[in-house]
Amino acid sequence: MTTVAGTPRDLSKARRFGLEGRRNLTGWAFLIPAALLIGVMSFYPMVQALILSLKSGKGTNLNWAEPLWYNYERLTRDTIFVQTVKNTFVYLIIQVPVMLILALILSYLLNKKDLRFKAFWRTAIFLPCAVSLVSYSMVFRTLFATDGFVNDALLALHLVDAPVNWLNQPNTARTVIIIGLLWRWTGYNMVFYLAGLQNLDYATFEAAKIDGAGPVKTFLYVTIPQLKPMILLTAIMSTNGTLQLFDESWALTAGGPANMSKTMSHYLYDVSFRLTPQFGYGAAISYVILVLVAILAFIQMKVGDRRD
Amino acid sequence: MNTTKKLIWLAAAAALGLSMTACSSGDSGSGTSGGDTSAAGAATTDAGTTTTTGGDALVVWTWDPAFNIYAMNEAAKVYQADHPDFQLDVQEVAWDDIQTKLTTLAQSKTLSELPDIVLVQNNAFQKNVINYPELFSSFADSGIDFSQYPQAVTDYSVIDGVNWGLPFDNGTAVAAYRTDVLAEAGYTIADFTDITWSQFITLAEDVLAKTGKPLLSGQAGSSDLIMMLLQSAGASLFDADGNPTIAGNETLKKAVALYQELVEKGILVEVNSWDEYIATFVTGQVAGTINGCWILASVQTATDQSGLWDITNLPKMDDVAGATNYSANGGSSWAITSNVSDYALAADFLKSTFAGSTAFYDTILPSSGAIANWLPASKSSVYAEPQAFFGGDAIYAKIVEYAASVPSNNTGAYYYEGRDAVSTAITEIINGADPDTALQTAQETVEFAMG
Amino acid sequence: MTRTLRNLPGYAFLTVAAVLSLFPLYFMVVSATNTSQDVLGSRLTPGTNLLQNVRDLFATADVRSAMWHSAVNAVATTLVALVVCSIAGYGFEIFHSKGKDRLMGVLLLAMMIPFAATMIPLFQLFADMGLTNSTLAVILPAVSTPFLILLFRQSSRNFPHEILEAARLDGLSELMIFARIYIPTMRSTYAAAATITFMAAWNNFLWPKVILVSPQYQTMPMLISNLTSGYVTNYGVLMLAVLLASLPTVVIFLVLQRSFAEGITGAIK
Repeated sequence: MTTVAGTPRDLSKARRFGLEGRRNLTGWAFLIPAALLIGVMSFYPMVQALILSLKSGKGTNLNWAEPLWYNYERLTRDTIFVQTVKNTFVYLIIQVPVMLILALILSYLLNKKDLRFKAFWRTAIFLPCAVSLVSYSMVFRTLFATDGFVNDALLALHLVDAPVNWLNQPNTARTVIIIGLLWRWTGYNMVFYLAGLQNLDYATFEAAKIDGAGPVKTFLYVTIPQLKPMILLTAIMSTNGTLQLFDESWALTAGGPANMSKTMSHYLYDVSFRLTPQFGYGAAISYVILVLVAILAFIQMKVGDRRD
Repeated sequence: MNTTKKLIWLAAAAALGLSMTACSSGDSGSGTSGGDTSAAGAATTDAGTTTTTGGDALVVWTWDPAFNIYAMNEAAKVYQADHPDFQLDVQEVAWDDIQTKLTTLAQSKTLSELPDIVLVQNNAFQKNVINYPELFSSFADSGIDFSQYPQAVTDYSVIDGVNWGLPFDNGTAVAAYRTDVLAEAGYTIADFTDITWSQFITLAEDVLAKTGKPLLSGQAGSSDLIMMLLQSAGASLFDADGNPTIAGNETLKKAVALYQELVEKGILVEVNSWDEYIATFVTGQVAGTINGCWILASVQTATDQSGLWDITNLPKMDDVAGATNYSANGGSSWAITSNVSDYALAADFLKSTFAGSTAFYDTILPSSGAIANWLPASKSSVYAEPQAFFGGDAIYAKIVEYAASVPSNNTGAYYYEGRDAVSTAITEIINGADPDTALQTAQETVEFAMG
Repeated sequence: MTRTLRNLPGYAFLTVAAVLSLFPLYFMVVSATNTSQDVLGSRLTPGTNLLQNVRDLFATADVRSAMWHSAVNAVATTLVALVVCSIAGYGFEIFHSKGKDRLMGVLLLAMMIPFAATMIPLFQLFADMGLTNSTLAVILPAVSTPFLILLFRQSSRNFPHEILEAARLDGLSELMIFARIYIPTMRSTYAAAATITFMAAWNNFLWPKVILVSPQYQTMPMLISNLTSGYVTNYGVLMLAVLLASLPTVVIFLVLQRSFAEGITGAIK
């Protein structure tokens, strides 16, 4: 709630309500263009997709499903889909926390007053997400090839006895995808933390210093709490991005081996465009993703968005 | 209310700004970029309601400037000799993008955005026509004589006895080997001609032992070679009614076992991606490859290996009824869309060039390696020219000869589902799963997708 | 010197991160100067084929046109998105109310569905209005994103209310406060938002390729897709195109990153 507390003038209740009411209206006016655009560009197609998810059939030959939730029921029997759900959650649980912690540490280091070559570090770490997917996937596939650089390095360090067939075993293929995600998106999240850090009150850091807090304590008890709104934002975004993950699954491993690294969105694309087109079924997959993201976002909001 | 008024102004200004950027991009699209549009293309309207420009201009979507686009433009030149007003606007669109556009336009019933002619991959032809018959015009009234094509090639685009595609790109399979490596092990290309797979394995093991070079490579988990093996014996993943025949398919089981043996004996090196597959022979790690004849274009990018390659037919499967030394992989066919501005013109153009001009094929073969499926063209002397890269062998005549012997392949609407399921099965079998169980699971996966 | 020493673990960490981040980029740059065969052989040293790659790329593809179309789409998307989303994010936070919180929750739903599922109805919408092949159709679905609104809302939590109240007392209208005080104060947030939006718009692939039905409006990602679609891919040329396509985002980041570094001290106090 926006309050006018601190206003020196003594306002009557009626005037106060009038002023607040008007400000409230102004606030709504500020939201209208964005809300209208989202309504037309997102919600309208989403409603269409919801209707579509209740229809079954192939190509343009779509009819109301019998029963209406047939597509959803069919998903539970679809072994490939169930596998993609498992894969996606493996990515989510491992990659998102690791990435956000790394991004936090990096932004903290980069925000230090006495750090040299700031611009260089910042640019270098951000750049991966600016690189086209084509070159990124080529490089990663080359690096993780059986006779590739990663295996050469591991063999030289005696960490493995024989070359690892990275992209052709379920767990190592998933590892490559997670490494790829970390590589591409850590710098991206770091940018938000950096922007967030700029908006912080510098006095709190000075206070912490005076109180004799070391760098780790300052980071944990001063920086992180103040960055909470931004951490919440990146957590929701990363969860959302990972549950809708398509690029890495498509370009790095092609979902292989044997669908063991394929994501839900990749499967959605398959049933819509690559295989026999079943748009009703695809729409049902997209609503499963929506519900999963919504539940996780709701939990994150509840945990992280408390206004103190 | 002052604020509200200002907001309205802001919104109006934003809208104005938007429309201005929209307009300016339209202008500069044809202005600054010069040269991106051919004479016909430049006439496309800004609103984009239709891409036809009146007169005789036909719009074509296809990919690969060095191959399909080049061929289409040459065909236009041939046709223009007799029809000076004829105009063709060939637009470059990657195959994946064509498939996405076809699906989107069909699904949203926006057929008016379709071009006049589009190239479709043979393996995807049945799927597209069966699910979206409204996208295409059939060749029933075209007057084209399809008996001048090998049946295996036209079969990809025949649905219920009607021709929907005009075969262009040849997918006949070849076995290409490095003759210098074979010679090092004491063999010639003749030793690898008209052989069976068991003979091939004996020879390849010997080559591997003597030279250290495997003869084959492939993408791990790809079912390309399995599919070629199946087709070489006239088998497929589907029966005539389109039902999957993956479980209990003896030919498939033998093909999978053969693939497994090749991998285990180190004769076939599995790599992770298409780029790496190309790299294996371009950089000389392996001494051969088996694929559709279009792979030869990639082989020839290794200019330092010129004169060291030659081709022959495929090994034949042992103890399989109907097994041959011939197969195919890929290829593509032209389709006339339902949005064609002038069906008679489009059909006549294709009939007079791709299905009627030896001169046309004689032009495109030497410069692009585009091999005719149209049988009369293959009798031309151009096909008998020796090719220096392949040690002076007349490889085009060989390929055309192989093409005539390729057994038909029943792709069906669920070709990609079948292929994916078999790929999964192969991966599992290579990793130690029981073949019968893995193929049974594949059968169930395809049945589920069809249900 | 001692200070640098104390920061040693920090520098070591940053060095590892930077090397890992830059290596694939280095490969991209080096590959653009090599022949296709060398790229496939993972050659890691610069070659002498750059000029030939440039000639081949410009001969086979209309790079200038694709760069132009990509730039128009990305710049228009970024400008409109910044205005629309920042004013909304500001409205959500500064005029905070229960109802607006609920609306935000609803709007968030819009980003939770994969685009592949909403693409067909959206296409139909624009086709019905005769807007295929238009810049407007490319940018409209991308200008109002829950993500950007949320970014501005979250950032606004640190916007000092004392300044707001002081401005109100000075008689500034709400819109003027937003334009004159909020925007300059939140420069680093705008810089982050602009970088991210430009990057997403520049690399956007699926929607432009569908809505720009006519191939002459092709953008850089489509051009790159075409380069890999033939029977023979020239990997040197491909990497050069990929390098060119990556440059604008890099430049935008380099230009805007000064804003990330600006302290709050100068901007507000």
